[in-house]
Amino acid sequence: MSTTDIQISAEEQILSYCKKNIATQDKKHCFYNSRLDAYELFKRDGLPGVKNENWKYTNILQKLESIPVRSQTHSAPLNVNNFINNFDIMRKLRDTNDTVLVFMDGKMQEQLSLLYEKRNIEISSLKDDVIPEWANKINNKKHSENEDELFNLNTLLMEDGALINVKKNNTRVENVYIVHVGNNNGFYNYRHIINIEDHAQVNIIELKISNKSDIDALYTSSIIWSIGDHCVVNNVKYQAHNQITIGFNQQYADIGSNTEFNSFTISSGSKLLRESRNINCNGSNSNISISGVNLLDGNSHIDTLLSVRHKAPNTISREKYKSIINDNAKGVFQGNIIVDQIAQKTIAKQSIDALILSSHAEHDAKPELEIYADDVQCGHGATTGQISQDSLFYLKSRGIPEDEARRLLIHAFLTDALDEIKDKKILETFGDVMNNMLNRVSKGNFNV
Amino acid sequence: MFNVSNLTVSVEDKEILKNFSIDVGPGEVHAIMGPNGSGKSTLAHVCAGKEDYTVLNGEVLLNDENLLDLDPDERSTRGLFLAFQYPIEIPGVTTMTFLKSSLEAHYKANGKEVLSTPDFMKLVREKAAELNIDDDMIRRPLNVGFSGGEKKRNEILQMALLDPKICILDETDSGLDIDALRLVAEGVNKLRSESRSFIVITHYQRLLDYIKPDYVHIMYKGKIIETGDSTLALDLEKSGYNNYIK
Repeated sequence: MSTTDIQISAEEQILSYCKKNIATQDKKHCFYNSRLDAYELFKRDGLPGVKNENWKYTNILQKLESIPVRSQTHSAPLNVNNFINNFDIMRKLRDTNDTVLVFMDGKMQEQLSLLYEKRNIEISSLKDDVIPEWANKINNKKHSENEDELFNLNTLLMEDGALINVKKNNTRVENVYIVHVGNNNGFYNYRHIINIEDHAQVNIIELKISNKSDIDALYTSSIIWSIGDHCVVNNVKYQAHNQITIGFNQQYADIGSNTEFNSFTISSGSKLLRESRNINCNGSNSNISISGVNLLDGNSHIDTLLSVRHKAPNTISREKYKSIINDNAKGVFQGNIIVDQIAQKTIAKQSIDALILSSHAEHDAKPELEIYADDVQCGHGATTGQISQDSLFYLKSRGIPEDEARRLLIHAFLTDALDEIKDKKILETFGDVMNNMLNRVSKGNFNV
Repeated sequence: MFNVSNLTVSVEDKEILKNFSIDVGPGEVHAIMGPNGSGKSTLAHVCAGKEDYTVLNGEVLLNDENLLDLDPDERSTRGLFLAFQYPIEIPGVTTMTFLKSSLEAHYKANGKEVLSTPDFMKLVREKAAELNIDDDMIRRPLNVGFSGGEKKRNEILQMALLDPKICILDETDSGLDIDALRLVAEGVNKLRSESRSFIVITHYQRLLDYIKPDYVHIMYKGKIIETGDSTLALDLEKSGYNNYIK
């Protein structure tokens, strides 16, 4: 079978899947019209390909050979104790009062979740017949000019997700965990919508884990944020996929004035992972950090498409990304900062750094600035390098064994990106996970 | 104690050390002087195990064990310490973390119980105070933004903590002002003992005013061509190398 046949085959399979899906949707549901529009757009445009993408180092059609067939016999649902014991972090979370929403193969699992009555946080499901008005409103608006074919696909096919509303003046910082576990082969689509009213604070932590190394999953997932004025929002996403999962993640965020938004992503594994992040600074005096760490080995391929748009004066943004790339893995990064004419006094700094550990690893980076205002401080840069042999020798000459020396140097490389995780409470529960991750990475095991 | 015998080393087919030999007894201080390009730093690096060099012949024995068979970290835990001419800056690793990893590696390799964090901190502060190194410097990333004097004092602090048997000082005096030189030399002198030996590589007799050597060697074209006592260094200072280079 030639490559061309495979390309057509995967796209056609998805189109036929969409056709069946739209036929089963409830026409009276408030999402129906947007699903139908998305279907028409997908019929017209198909999947993004090298012909219509700006940055051509990721060939989605080549990586996506077919839709994984949903396992005929789903493995028995995990019981709560088994589940908690399987995941260290869950065991730790059980002892806290944090909200934990568990999704398995894209579907909410109430029996595995930890739900408490919280006065200032309302949680409902995208699967419900009646969707709260705020969620419907956020869902139906245009989020960015960067809404692409993959977002359309997600709009059309989304089956489940969390709708989280953090109420006005919520000053007690709560952790809300959204845990996704890939447990069966299949094609999964979900969307979370998060509304944070003015003067509210919250930490949202997402964990995405492939439960087994041989689960063949394809998913689209989106998270749409609407963040008000005078808010403090910390978001960490930790995704550890196996080497055959293909995931398309989209993040859209609208940010009000005087708000702090720190969003950090740690990604590993994946046959292909597209991380599309689109952030609008709509109000003045906001301060945001959109940063992350990518750990790639084997044949994994992570592609980040980042767009931060400053649409109001006096806003600050930092985009700090670090990648460690081993074996035959490939990292692709396109980061764009747009400063509108009105957005005077913008301060924006973007850095994209990669540490290459093998001669077959690859990193392609394109940092971009589009500036329409004349009184701004903006900078960007990209570096790609190897572990310094001089540094390694210096550490070893002091008795530090090779593994430990590499661990220290890898940690040193990642450290200023990891410093972008600002919230102490997140670090408390997450510190061990990160240290374990660093230990494994320094020993060449990237399957965090 | 520390014996280098018939060491021949090349870099990219060029022989830098040619049948180099030196015997350093317990507690002795040997100074090696020589014109630029005579192989002094190569000797230091090869003893410590830096890659990039091909050892064609010879042995480097520490208490009868051939260090050339060991990795750099093992050479260090056996008791060899190289004070770098240009200590490496490592952003992201604090000096304290580095010292702790290093000391723990030494304790583990030598079957000693690792110090508790408070005991470790106490030990570091004690040794650091003797070298005028304050807490702020220890909390900073390793050698990053350190002055020349701070970098060299940091090297001596590591030497004091790791308790080596043989110390090779590779042009430790380079880049130091007079006060820093005295401070570093005093640090070294405090570490002199009957069981610890030193090889001091230097271009200048001035360092040897502070660190009194038992032997002074002149190295030229990869081997020692003259050996004497401390008066040899004084003579070199006056007349240069020309009288010795045949």
